[in-house]
Amino acid sequence: MKVRIDKAACVGNARCWAVSPELFPLDDDGYILVEEVEVPAGMEDLARRGVRACPERVMQIMEDDNSQ
Amino acid sequence: MTEASAVSAAVPTPDHVPESAFYDFDMFHDPAYVKDPHKRIIDMVENAPPVFWTPRNGGHWMIMSHAANFEAARDTDAFSSEMIPYEQMEAMLAAMPPGTPHIPRAYPINLDPPNHAKYRQPVQGVFSPKAINALRDSIRALARELVAEIADRGECEFMSAVAEPLPVRVFLKLLGLPLEKFAEYRALVKAHLSEIAPDPSSAMKRLQQVAAAMRETVLERRDDPRDDIISLLWTVEIDGRPTVLEDIENYGVLMFIAGLDTVMQGMGHGVRHLAENPELQAQLRANPELVADATEELLRRYTFTVPPRRVARDMVFQGVQMKEGERAMLFLPAADLDSKEYPEPDHFDVKRGGKPHIAFNAGPHRCLGSHLARVELNILYEELLAGLPSFSLNPQRAPKFHGGHVIGVEELHLVWEK
Repeated sequence: MKVRIDKAACVGNARCWAVSPELFPLDDDGYILVEEVEVPAGMEDLARRGVRACPERVMQIMEDDNSQ
Repeated sequence: MTEASAVSAAVPTPDHVPESAFYDFDMFHDPAYVKDPHKRIIDMVENAPPVFWTPRNGGHWMIMSHAANFEAARDTDAFSSEMIPYEQMEAMLAAMPPGTPHIPRAYPINLDPPNHAKYRQPVQGVFSPKAINALRDSIRALARELVAEIADRGECEFMSAVAEPLPVRVFLKLLGLPLEKFAEYRALVKAHLSEIAPDPSSAMKRLQQVAAAMRETVLERRDDPRDDIISLLWTVEIDGRPTVLEDIENYGVLMFIAGLDTVMQGMGHGVRHLAENPELQAQLRANPELVADATEELLRRYTFTVPPRRVARDMVFQGVQMKEGERAMLFLPAADLDSKEYPEPDHFDVKRGGKPHIAFNAGPHRCLGSHLARVELNILYEELLAGLPSFSLNPQRAPKFHGGHVIGVEELHLVWEK
């Protein structure tokens, strides 16, 4: 599973980071640091929660079979 | 304030506003709203159009639905935060006679991109979640102290005893202003709050007082930096140039008007809900790890800020014709009570399936202080629940509220067993 992030659209709510600082690292300004997250096995649920927590809706789950 | 309030006169409705988009609501003085704001908002969410024109307060648009707020907040070309366009404002200020004292402005809250980013970027790091997390212990100590002061009284007026002093103390601490300034800033906050719809010249004067009260410290920190925000602001650059005294004052004023009133009202609305729901208090006392989620749900259920925008061009927005120069309010409290987004919106549900709210707005103007506000609210709820037994509203003295751009709690009388 991957998370795809529209990094330019991030406005720094950092709610994903509040769910999992490990999956969703921030830069020094508090904005998302990465455009894509490779989700380690066992962390899929955290990834889904982090994506759902974004008020700006800039993240998307990409399942391994490429469906959403 | 509320006692003297009267609904403002209605102005004639412009021809391009259809009857279907008309709804009469005074965002400052609507009687039902002032009596119990979020009850009235739920009534409007059910009965008013998703975008409507009200003839009150000079006539303006109200943006109600979550979808409409989300779109408008993110479309800064269509909905400008510059109630007076930037160039016009700067030209006005430049035309003032030489020697006129600096008039502080709350940049970047009232700027559009790209100027917005020039003023916001330098302070992002200061308010980042990591920077704010480092303040947790000192905020907790302040909150604990205030709660301990009231604990054996058995009753209090929560706004003046806790909600108002706490953010002012945090503000002083954060900026590095001396604690002796507490009384002065508290008086300025009081004056700021007493005018729900301030006239521009008295608001300007007050902002100058806010700036004057910090000037000595600002200049001291330039020459002798410490570990505080004012010192940090001397080290940043705005659009590639070093900051000057006026910039620091602008930021100080921004933090004053955006960071004190708001946090305090958030506490008021949240604590009112807790006081009315002893079973929720019991649940949170037994499961303190739920307080963070409860903080979010209280923010959603009682979203309380109403940012203004200027319609920047003639357009059809969400099916409604708007004209350049009209004012539109992002009525975020209604967005967060939209049943399309939140089933049973009036119901308080600690989990809500992790669904986020937009109490801190959406788009580039997302509240810069949101991380600080969250920490302050979270810690206050924790300390209040830990430091007081089950508390409730004083049945003799109903809470008092006011409308406006920040829906406020004026009085919140609590009682508990000593």
